Amino acid sequence: MERKGMYTVEVSHVTKSFGAIKAVDDLSFNVGKGEIFGLLGPNGAGKTTTIRLILDIFKPESGEVAVLGGPMTEATKDRIGYMPEERGLYQDIPLERCLVYLGSLKGLSPTVVRQRAGEYLERFDLAAHKNHKIKELSKGMQQKAQIIVTLLHKPELVIIDEPFISLDPVNTQLVKGLLRELRTQSVTLIMSTHQMHQVEELCDRILLINHGRAVLYGGLDQIRRQYASHAVLVKSSSELPALPGVEKMEAHNSSVKITLASGTSPQQVLEELVKRNVPLEQFEIATPTLDEIFIRVVQGEAGPVE
Amino acid sequence: MKSSFGWCRERQGQLSKFWRVVAYEYQRHVLRRRFLFALLSVPALVVVMALVVLLIDRAENKNTPIGYVDHSGLLAQAVEPPQSSSFERPVPIIQFESEAQAKESLQAGKLQAYYVLPSDYLQTSQAELIFIQPPSSSAQAQFRNFIRANLLKGQPQAIVERITEGNDVVVRTADGSRQMSQKDWFNILTPFIAGLVFVMAIFTTSGYLMQAMVEEKENRTMEILLTSVSPLQMMSGKIVGIVGVGLTQLLAWIGFAIGGVMVGRNYVTWLNAVQIAPSALVTMAAVMLPGFLLIAALMATVGATVTEAREGQQVTGLITLPVMLPYWFSYLIISNPNGPMAVALSYFPLTAPVALSLRMGFTQVPLGELLPSLVSLTAFALGALWLAGRAFRLGMLRYGQRVTLRELFGQPAAGEH
Repeated sequence: MERKGMYTVEVSHVTKSFGAIKAVDDLSFNVGKGEIFGLLGPNGAGKTTTIRLILDIFKPESGEVAVLGGPMTEATKDRIGYMPEERGLYQDIPLERCLVYLGSLKGLSPTVVRQRAGEYLERFDLAAHKNHKIKELSKGMQQKAQIIVTLLHKPELVIIDEPFISLDPVNTQLVKGLLRELRTQSVTLIMSTHQMHQVEELCDRILLINHGRAVLYGGLDQIRRQYASHAVLVKSSSELPALPGVEKMEAHNSSVKITLASGTSPQQVLEELVKRNVPLEQFEIATPTLDEIFIRVVQGEAGPVE
Repeated sequence: MKSSFGWCRERQGQLSKFWRVVAYEYQRHVLRRRFLFALLSVPALVVVMALVVLLIDRAENKNTPIGYVDHSGLLAQAVEPPQSSSFERPVPIIQFESEAQAKESLQAGKLQAYYVLPSDYLQTSQAELIFIQPPSSSAQAQFRNFIRANLLKGQPQAIVERITEGNDVVVRTADGSRQMSQKDWFNILTPFIAGLVFVMAIFTTSGYLMQAMVEEKENRTMEILLTSVSPLQMMSGKIVGIVGVGLTQLLAWIGFAIGGVMVGRNYVTWLNAVQIAPSALVTMAAVMLPGFLLIAALMATVGATVTEAREGQQVTGLITLPVMLPYWFSYLIISNPNGPMAVALSYFPLTAPVALSLRMGFTQVPLGELLPSLVSLTAFALGALWLAGRAFRLGMLRYGQRVTLRELFGQPAAGEH
């Protein structure tokens, strides 16, 4: 039994409709303190609605949401940082003024907010642009500014929608480093993204939703193991011989994917290959990438999780 | 003890967020170039108009001399009349010995016209004016002043002034609380102009508010704001901020007007009669403030419910129309300022600000009518604030989809519980 209040975010049996469409349908999940949690799903799956329900921008028709130990209050808002997918900064005012105003709305005093904005601007290499209007900045710069707004008040919970979408590799690295640093500070992070390799690299646990319902939920390693097919990937400089206990052999990128018959273990296949003196360059258990799992799940291989 | 202290601190924090919204919204509009333009455009327009009038006057009123032939002997030792206005171009007045000489000068284009005063002028008061083209009214007025000054020559100064200024009928209410002089036409006009200026200030500034809100909705800044402050804080902060902007504009215009009158007094004598009763100012402020709040809140409601600025401008017509309505009926209101039409329009909150300011120019609005009108205006202003908060909550995140009136006033919609 899970005890209430153990988690930073607790969503239980939440439903939200727009007209006849159920955007979120009896959704439940928890996010623990200090974890990086991936909220995934195809376009229109209900990710943004879920985020807005957590943030109390929308009220659910049924179910409950608890954030940082209880329902959302005005004081709770000061402990949360939110970066929407479509970046929302005032376009017509200088960068620094925008940061200072939005930071002050999170309850920071003008002195503190100014000092912290200065530090972040330095760190993100934006100090030279602090007097430029936001609309004069490049897309990547605007995104960095948005990340600063999200983190300025040192939130305990950060909810971030597509954090890497306009960033070049250097800035992606910078932001990734920052997110990892937040984890070491026990900041809870909910990240919604389509970039599965980023999720694989950063997230501890994920929730995959489709049509407003949870279809995959749990630890990343556990899910990948769960979806591992009974197969091995083998790469060799010579042709692979026919092997006993093998159902099928097929080319898979530059290697060969060997699907095993039930009752055959990868270890047995390896022994057979060694016995036949096959020169091996690669031998590994074929675990699917998150991309593959995503496609399989969304295309209907898995029903909703209980 | 500890928890109540925490609660207090939290309340304080929330209150300071409200003021931060107010301060930001105020600065954001006041520091913009378009605000400065709006601020300067009205006085600039007045100055330009005054200059145009002056130039036209100059062009029309040539200072070609006026002549006269005096058969009455009244102007034998003529004195110069006192200069009445520095804006008037003095027209030289030349005496001719004979009508033939005067006629010759007129035909040579050296004169605008000439007067002939017959020998029995003092009895008949009839003089003859001979011209090819009618002389300017200013030249005629200057000649009349010249005659008046010479006829009154030798009278005590007080009598001269009294006769020169003419009569002035003062109408006074029975209780003496209000009086109106014939020469105070400017003071009658003041509420009329003040109403118009007020309406202009309201519509320009609440127009900014509506536009800014639609923009915030379009570029999603609203989501950031909503996860920092409550809808009511946001909305009331924005509205109070914009009312501040409007008041700044009004105060600046009033400042310009006072400055203009002070400077103008040196040149235009009737400006000296301008004085505005403090009680009228207080009443005006009492009507205009809740009126401003009401209209700004309604405009904000529109901004929160529509999806693009153009659509918003169409809907605002529904607000502009009733506000301006009393001007359409201004003849009825002025001719019968305590009539049923005038009273009815003062009770309806949207028409009240203009209706009351119009009536104030022509009558003493009874306190028994003013108070209920103010109460209803304030109540509606607060109601509009609530409505704006609700529209905000309902409409802010519904991009591309309008909030219906039924949702706004009716049962809690899907977005609210």
